[in-house]
This record gives sequence, structure tokens and C-alpha cells, in this order.
Amino acid sequence: MKRLVLLATGLLSVHLSAAEVLIDNVMIYDGQKDPYQADMLLRDGVIAEIGQNLTTTGSIIDGRGKTLSAGIFNGNTHLGVVEVGAIKDTVDYRSDNIDYTASLSVAEAINPYSVLIPYNRSLGLTRALVVPENDNHIFAGSAALIQLRDDQMILNPSVGMVVNLGQHGKDVAGGSRATGLAMLRTALDEAKEFAAYKSQIMKGEYRDLSLSYHDLAALQPVLSGDLPLIVKVDRAADILRVVELAQQYKLSLVLMSAREAWRVASELANAKVAVIMDPINNLPMGYDSLGARLDAAAILNQAGVELVFTGMGDDASHNAALVRQSAANAVAHGLPVTAAIKAITSTPARLFNAEKFGGIQIGQPADLVIWDGHPLEAMSIPEHVYVAGKAMSLVSRASRLADRYLQRIRAFQGN
Amino acid sequence: MLKPFNLLAIIAATMAVSACAGNKPIETLPEVVSQPVAFATTYKPASHTDFVIRNVDVYVGNGAQLDDIDVLVSGGKIARIGTGLDSSAFEIDGSGLWLTPGLIDVHSHMGVYPQPETSNHSDGNEMTSPTTAEVWAEHSVWPQDPAFEKARAGGITTVQVLPGSANLFGGRSITLKNVDSVTVQGMKFPDAPYGLKMACGENPKRVYGSKGQLPSTRMGNVAGYRKAWIDAADYRDTWQKYASDIKAGKDVKPPKRDLKLETLMGVLNGEILIQNHCYRADEMAQMIDIGKEFGYTIRAFHHAVEAYKVAPLLAQEDVCAVMWADWWGFKQEAFDMVRENIALVDFAKGCAVIHSDDPIQTQRLNQEIAKALAAGNKLGLNMDRAHAMRWLTLNAAKVIGLEDKIGSVEAGKNADLVLWDQDPFSSFAKPSKVWIDGVVVHDAAGQNTTADFNLGIINAEEDRP
Repeated sequence: MKRLVLLATGLLSVHLSAAEVLIDNVMIYDGQKDPYQADMLLRDGVIAEIGQNLTTTGSIIDGRGKTLSAGIFNGNTHLGVVEVGAIKDTVDYRSDNIDYTASLSVAEAINPYSVLIPYNRSLGLTRALVVPENDNHIFAGSAALIQLRDDQMILNPSVGMVVNLGQHGKDVAGGSRATGLAMLRTALDEAKEFAAYKSQIMKGEYRDLSLSYHDLAALQPVLSGDLPLIVKVDRAADILRVVELAQQYKLSLVLMSAREAWRVASELANAKVAVIMDPINNLPMGYDSLGARLDAAAILNQAGVELVFTGMGDDASHNAALVRQSAANAVAHGLPVTAAIKAITSTPARLFNAEKFGGIQIGQPADLVIWDGHPLEAMSIPEHVYVAGKAMSLVSRASRLADRYLQRIRAFQGN
Repeated sequence: MLKPFNLLAIIAATMAVSACAGNKPIETLPEVVSQPVAFATTYKPASHTDFVIRNVDVYVGNGAQLDDIDVLVSGGKIARIGTGLDSSAFEIDGSGLWLTPGLIDVHSHMGVYPQPETSNHSDGNEMTSPTTAEVWAEHSVWPQDPAFEKARAGGITTVQVLPGSANLFGGRSITLKNVDSVTVQGMKFPDAPYGLKMACGENPKRVYGSKGQLPSTRMGNVAGYRKAWIDAADYRDTWQKYASDIKAGKDVKPPKRDLKLETLMGVLNGEILIQNHCYRADEMAQMIDIGKEFGYTIRAFHHAVEAYKVAPLLAQEDVCAVMWADWWGFKQEAFDMVRENIALVDFAKGCAVIHSDDPIQTQRLNQEIAKALAAGNKLGLNMDRAHAMRWLTLNAAKVIGLEDKIGSVEAGKNADLVLWDQDPFSSFAKPSKVWIDGVVVHDAAGQNTTADFNLGIINAEEDRP
């Protein structure tokens, strides 16, 4: 028996005393099984039951014709650290300071009240990696894991150490990609020395090192394998060298960008190296990415490589929610729907130790989206978004502007 | 063939459109001089076979939808559309498939900013003077840009390639057929009018202001436009006097050609279409007023992130708005994006058009109009898919002055067609076949010609995918 139907948000407060929400008869895409029709009961913001003919004394969302997925994750964004790209005053993801590299924590710059947050959340994005950049060094600092709630945005300030060995890394290393790798090896060796000779180094009784003490300290969890090294790299040959280096130093490695990763898919699968990629990129933006192709994600998935998606295209901050469209295009080019959904929900959650999110499981906080169509279709729009157990408003600055000007155009037409 | 650059015809046309600017109309002028055709097109469709697509669902491009219909292509043109067409032409089974017009991207830099994005190929913007109306984008196009064939695989059959937006006047655009060709002449769309790229706002004032020269402000931008149009009007008068003298039987030498002013004069006489990069609503209104001051019209505002704020004005002045579905925030003038922009402009009875400005996005403009439609409908605008297809086809054709030749699946038009494996409003849809003038230029199931650049570049035996 479904007793109550939620007619308007004004009724919400009346019925919330029950603290239950029943999502009735919705098609669930859980990123594991084939989609299935079921009811879902949320109690106090937690997924309490999934089954048939569930009942509630609380409110009901009619899920017929709708779909449900976990909240969407984007694996490479600047959310909270940029407002307007061309206005430097608003840009905090990019540093040119070489005195703070590995020790830079981009989490310390994040603005939870950025207008990008409600906008992307209204389009189904609930979680993202925020990735720093450094204009003058291969080490950019640690990436942060956020959820799109201004009251509790930073889930983990450091889920990976970002190193750029792509075209940019080659340039800042002095022009040769070999120097970039040498810089990385040197830093890791010196971080080991730092651990062994910390007191001498801190007293200044040691030779000069290439990184400052705080940067070397920040590399300790990388050396222990607790903090993944996230390496931006595209060319297949470079990817293999990085994998070899990670094995030598026993590091946990995640690749980012990796446009030619498909060429070494089996090596990556064997080494259990995950890839953060935008499956939409199929053009040779540089000579490092000559092999870029639309079915790269399908090839990597087939080989057993774990995937996390970012995108779409160059706009993965203001339009971070469009990672869903990138995922859809991977499906159009051979990736199974379930694998695509995993790459924007559960895989990144697990990879970055946020396993209570990203899936559809009883006992987890509701972190999900109810869509008016297939969860990967670009035309689909969220009707409800839950972040970490809380139903979120779908209003954004953009929706306010659209409402205002629709009224004005209607008024004009009325004249 | 492109239209001969007939100066006297231009002068005659100028009189018609510039009467409001205070010039006396001239009657007919003798055709005594005309410039040689510069960089004439050499495009010729490969030999075509007539064919009929049976039982296909069609987004016509003009707002209509036809279900389960036959489309006959003959001699490179759409010949007939109907149910159970009597034809012995080669048959393609279209059941379960969708047919649209060839897609048109009215804002592309393919060829002028090609892949890979290296400085040797970066030929898209002559950023050395705020007014470079004398440059022509076609002289920078590298036909081997590997982006062209990817756009083709996404159904793009016609592109307007524009110079960049650093300048008040960036130069002439060129409209190309998206065919494999060694030369740009082999891609030039016959009889397509030229466009003139203009740019509002942040880019010109930033680029030249940082060099310590005009413009460094938006008021500097406007002064720069007006000065150029004053020079152009003067140049036109010089040619007008020459034409009058010839008519009067005088033995006079023609004035010296000036490439910059020749292009601007082409705008004043209505032969060259203004393609105006402009984000902000208030600046669009200013640009429309500059057009009124000097007696020309603007064909389209490109990027037009704030078009929805002046949608009734754009409709009233018959200026198209060329927009993205959702790109925003990369600069201040792109901050007030709404996903309903395209739908709102259309709702206000304006000419709404999608564009990419990007070699990745151009590969799936069908998904971009799908998003724009969904956003508009969420706002309650209640438009259907067939209607939204206009944003990518017939309205786009109007932007580049080719609405009589392309942009809809109608008898008599060029057979530029895309056959989709499913409804193109789905993100999972892909073109099965793409035709230009009735010739297959992309076949998802077949071997397609790849750019020279791609040959043997993965390894000696393997081409770029």
C-alpha cells in the first residue's frame, strides 16, 4: 500500500516526520546487474530496502517511467577551485610555485559555495575528484575527493598524488620526457632518504635535495603504497615506463588521460593499473596522443582494466556533469552500459576509498539520482538528486536566469 | 563556381541597401568591369548512382517529420519523397532507421586550427592587427586535418570555417563541403556566399589592449568597428564614382583594389554575411545599432550565450543566434549560460542554431540539440524533435546563406543526407551512411578514406584509428 503521494515540496515537511521516502516502481541501474524494476525505500537518508510492493507511511516518488542510478562521479575536475576560467582571481587549481609541489593540497583552496556546485548537482553529479596543476613542476600536489554538498564538501583532502608526465610535464622538466621521469625517480629516492635521515635533513646537516622537506614528507604515503600516484601521461611507450617505475618502487599507480592506454591494455590489466580517462577524445591533440580513438574505453574494459571517466572534452569543471555524455559515447562505441555506469559511479568510489557511495546497496546513504529517462542519455534530466543521504535542491543560478527570462519573453509576447 | 566578384553588381546592390545611409540610388550600371574569380572552387561530386531509401523515418529539417517514407536520390539531388515510390534505382532498406539532412556546423576551425595542435599548423587567427578583414580563412585551411573525417563520421556534411576571434574584423570565412580533398579549392561549396568574422567583447580588447593599442575597452571595440565602416563606405563611394564615370562614357582607370575594404564593401552591398562572435546581450544590441548606422545587417551572432536575454530583439531584427547547448564559464561573458538558451530563442520566434567551435563536439551535434531540446521542454516549452532538428539543419543553412540548397530533405535540394542506426536524439545513435550530393562520404560498415596524416603513423603498417 502506498498511502501518500508527494504532491508538492510544500508537503515535504509535513510527511518527513516519518523520515521515509518510497521510490515506487523505478528502473534501477546499479552498475552491476542488468537494470531491474523495483521499489526503493529510503529511511533517514539511508537505502533501507529494495524490493517489490514496498510500503511506507512517508512520502512517495512515482518512479514509473523513470530510472535510478548512483550519483555521478567525475574523475578529473576543478570544481570549487575555479569560478570563471579566464579570471585568474577565481582560479585556484593552478599554481606556478615550485616551493610547494607534492605538499600542495588543493582541498585547502576549495570554495563550497561556487556556483558550479549547484549547477552540476542539478544535472546529477554528486562526487568528483578535484585535481591540482602546477605550471612549473611535474608534481602538482594531492587531489581531493569531494561531494557536491556545501555543508560537507570535502570527503578526503588527499586521495592521490598528481604527477604530470604528459606534454606539459615534458615541457616543465626541461624539454625531454626523459628528464621528467628522472625528476620523478629523484624525488622518490630523496623521499626515501628523507625518511631515513629526517633529523639531519631538518637540521640542515644534509646535502641539498631537489624538493623541500614538506614536499618530501608529502611523498611518504606514496612510497608506502597508501596514496596512489596519479600520473598524467598519454603515449603508450611512456605509459609502460611509468608502470615499470611504479613496480620498481612498489607504488600504487593510477593513470590519467592515457589516450594511448588501449595499445598497452593487457599490460595495464596485468599490473592492475586503473585509468582515469575521457572516452570522448579521439583526436590527436598532440603527437603523444596519435592513437586516440572512440573505442579505447571498450578495448580497455575488454582487457580487464578498471576505468574512471572524466570529461566531457575540455570542459570538465563548469560542465563536469557531462561526464555522463562521455560515458554514453563510450557505449555507442562498444562499451557495455553497465561498465559505463561503473566508470562514473562505483569504480571511482572504490578506488578512492569511498565505498559507502557509488553503488546501490542496502545500508548505504542515499547518493543517487532519479532520471526522467535512461541514465546515460544526454536528454535525460534528474528529477531528484540525493547526496550523502540528503535530498538536494535542483535550483541553480542558471535555472534562476532561465525562469526569469522565460517570464520576460512571455510578457513580451503577451503585449 | 563561386560567384564572380563583380564590382559593378556590388555597387548596384549597395545602392539598394544603403539608401537609408543617405546615398542617392543609381540606376542600372553597365557590366564593364569584374574581378577575376579568385581561388575558384574545383569541387565536383564523384560519379553518383541513383538510389532510393525505403521505409525510413525522416526528420525533414524544416520542422516536419515523415514516418515510413521513401526518398529517391537522382543526379545528386533529392528527387522525390513519398510512400511506395515507383523507382528502379538501387534500394536501401531504411526500416528502423532514421534519415536527416546532412548536418551543418556553422562555426568550425577545422583545417585552420588542425590536429595535432602544434604551432606549425596554428593558422586560424591573424592576431597582428584589430582589423584584418583582408585575410581569408581558406588560405589557412589544411585539408589533411584528421578532424574533417571524424566530423564526417558524425554526419557533418557542410562546415563554415572561420578565422579566430581576437580581432574586431577577423577576415573572411569559407563554407566547405566536408569531402576528402588534397586542396581547399576541392572543398569549396559552389556559389556559397562568403562570411566576415567580427568579434565583440573580451577577446579583441584583451589581445590588443595587452599590446598597448586600441582597443583595450569595449568602447574601443565599437570605435574600431565604426572607423572601419566609415573607410568602407568611402571605398564604396570611390568605386561608385568610377562606375558612374564609366557609365557616362569617361575614360577612367579603376581605383586600386584594397583587400580589406573590398571585403567590408561586400558586406555593405549584402553579398558577404556578417558572422559575429558575440556573447553578451547588451553587446548584441549595440552591434545591431552599428549595422543600422552603416546600412548592413548581421546574419548571425555566434556563441551568443546571452541570446535568450534579447531573444525578441533578435527575432525582430532577423538575426540568427548560433549557440552551444551548455558550454559556459570559461570567461565572464560566458557566465550567464542557460541550457534553455536555444529553446528560448526559438520560443521567441528567433532563428536558433547549434554550433560546435570544437572538433570534438562537432562529431555529435545531434546530441547537443538533444540536450537543448530536453532543457527547453523541462522549462515547459513543449517542442518536438522534428522541430529541434531545424537548429542543426535548415536554420544553420540560413546562417551561411544556403537554405535554398541544403538543410532539409525536400525535393530539389542537394542530396546531403545522413542515415542513422537509430533516432539521432539518442546518445547511442551513430550515422550508418553519410552522403554529400548523393555520393557516400562515410560508411560505418565500409572502408573510408583517411587523411594522409593518418597513414602509417601508428606504425608503418597501421593507420591512425
